[in-house]
Amino acid sequence: MVDKFEVMVGNKAVAYVAKLARVKFISAFPITPQTTIVQYISDMIANGEIDSEYVTTEGELTAQASALTATAAGVRSFTATAGPGVLYMHHPMHATSNARLPLVMAIMHRGVKGMQPDHTDMMSQRDTSWIMLECENSQEILDTGIMAYKIAEDERVRLPAIFAGDGYILSYTDEPVEIPDQAKIDAFLPPYKTTYPLLPEQGPDNRRAQMALWGFGMDEQARWKIQQDAMEAAKKVIKEVNTEYKKLFGRGYGNGLIEEYKTKDVDAVLVAMGTIASTARTAIDKLQADGKKVGLVRLKAFKPFPAEEFQKIAPKVKAMGIIDRNISCGSGGICFSEIRSSIYDVEERPKTLEFYAGLNGKEVRVQDLIKMGEKTLKAASGAKVTPLVEWV
Amino acid sequence: MSKPVPLVKLDEKEYIESANQACQGCTGATVARIVGKVLGGQMVRQEVACCGPAFGNLYQPSIYAEIFEGAGAMMTGLSRAFKRMDRDDAIVTGIIGDGGTFDIGFQGLSGAAERNENVLWVCYDNEAYMNTGGQRSSATTKYAQTTTTPIGEFSRGKKERRKNVAALVAMHHVPYMATASVAYPEDLIGKLEYAKKLKGFRFILVSAPCPTGWRTEPQYAVKVAKDMVLSGMWPLYEVIDGEKLKLTFKPKEPLKPVKDVLKIQGRFRHVTDDEVKELQDEVSAYWKRLVEKDGGPFF
Repeated sequence: MVDKFEVMVGNKAVAYVAKLARVKFISAFPITPQTTIVQYISDMIANGEIDSEYVTTEGELTAQASALTATAAGVRSFTATAGPGVLYMHHPMHATSNARLPLVMAIMHRGVKGMQPDHTDMMSQRDTSWIMLECENSQEILDTGIMAYKIAEDERVRLPAIFAGDGYILSYTDEPVEIPDQAKIDAFLPPYKTTYPLLPEQGPDNRRAQMALWGFGMDEQARWKIQQDAMEAAKKVIKEVNTEYKKLFGRGYGNGLIEEYKTKDVDAVLVAMGTIASTARTAIDKLQADGKKVGLVRLKAFKPFPAEEFQKIAPKVKAMGIIDRNISCGSGGICFSEIRSSIYDVEERPKTLEFYAGLNGKEVRVQDLIKMGEKTLKAASGAKVTPLVEWV
Repeated sequence: MSKPVPLVKLDEKEYIESANQACQGCTGATVARIVGKVLGGQMVRQEVACCGPAFGNLYQPSIYAEIFEGAGAMMTGLSRAFKRMDRDDAIVTGIIGDGGTFDIGFQGLSGAAERNENVLWVCYDNEAYMNTGGQRSSATTKYAQTTTTPIGEFSRGKKERRKNVAALVAMHHVPYMATASVAYPEDLIGKLEYAKKLKGFRFILVSAPCPTGWRTEPQYAVKVAKDMVLSGMWPLYEVIDGEKLKLTFKPKEPLKPVKDVLKIQGRFRHVTDDEVKELQDEVSAYWKRLVEKDGGPFF
């Protein structure tokens, strides 16, 4: 019962999720920067570390659609992709959530208008009713992948889940990662059971169950309402699972939805997601060392969106500087829009500033984040800052 | 090799709901009914967008997803999961239209065939996207009128030849590939019985005329299918392991003229003698080639 350490890249940590979760069906198609995940899994299957069906598909659409039905039939399944691969999966991804199937998928971010990382691949799936959990380092990738199965398979949720990390940055960077003991993982994550078995002897009963699952005979809007309710329920489940994981393995990530860093008695906060948050920690340390009262809130869960968490933070700060490694052209940064909308009903709400950073892999340096922190702090002081929306 | 099975040997139990949404004279529904009777209680069915979910409400478990192109992928997931669950007795079956087989589903078909997934793919081929109102597919015969290949001053119907998916699937070296026709149920049942006992990728392409789309009187739907076989337009054959070809039915020579088969189909009412001759030459040449290869290597 000893946990082991190994120095590994993020993509290997992803492969370890498939191993530790004892998945029985894996489908994947290689795409940079996810490719080595597929290779690590191939190796693990070749040397007997993973005992699973493994389909090296002819494309991502098949990877998603085959994992969908494998999950429906009754085995825990896994797939992984990136960038354009995520877009190619888009259409079956809706079907996976529509059937309430707890498939778990890794995304190693790659932008959709270039090869380098940003969050536009996952953000393009914003409305697919998938849970989306963002990671900051390889350890968190491993931990979040395991937690994702527990969250997705919870009877209150039964929605598919993504755990994601910034491609390239995490894909290929070696970091020490603690590999939890398999027996402890088995105790944490019991075997998966399907809701509606598809076995031949189920006969017409199954068909009725399937019809109900698909919402036939229900209110036209029922499918969406069911998924929205499940997503709301997931907020509680994510927190519970995060707490349980922390208790068992000694690692948790904030409250599961957001993670606050040095936010005690601050006037302003930066909000970041993914690896930018790691760089931001250094910037916050430097800013606070200089007596500048700015902290960091890291978005750990993008879906369900932790609106209540931001509503709690809102009255405590005078300004929020929101960093978006994504954009929805025609409106703006997606995290920015979500946060502003979340805090609208809070009476004492802070000013909000928008920073576009790291799109298409543009480097985001500590000095960039210091500037963002200073600008947000200036807005918090009541001084006029321009522009309110900035391309870093 | 398959052997024809007399109709009397069929299971009396019905697996298809009698109240289904098929059009009058739908032969796709007849194919689904036969598939149900042969595979019966062992079948788990994958449904994709096509007329199938409308007429094929079989009394067996099925999963439907709005992934038109996903038949190969989704059958893969089911069969691999059943293998892991020690339930290889479940026959993962798709009753898929020609759109989901020849066109939008072709990549998945090829992928599943190449990986030799343990599934039985039955394509009911009505030669167009009938569920959306009869638009051309790559299964549509040349010169046929469809709602996207209308007849007009500048259009003679479909411009291209039909895609030979039967041969393409056989070229994947799959354990079993067969063509069949709704007009020859004994032959179809024999092929289903044979395929049922095999493991790996099995494909049966069944001619299933759609009277609505073919602009034929419903009572002639089976006659059209029969005449297609008798004319050589729809040869009945099978290819085992992508190697050995066998014609399972040889119509009486001389074959029925293609012209006679076309004339009872409204979709060909516009064809000229030259166009008929072109179609006849193609059919004759292909039939000749198949007869030469009968009993020998497929290629």
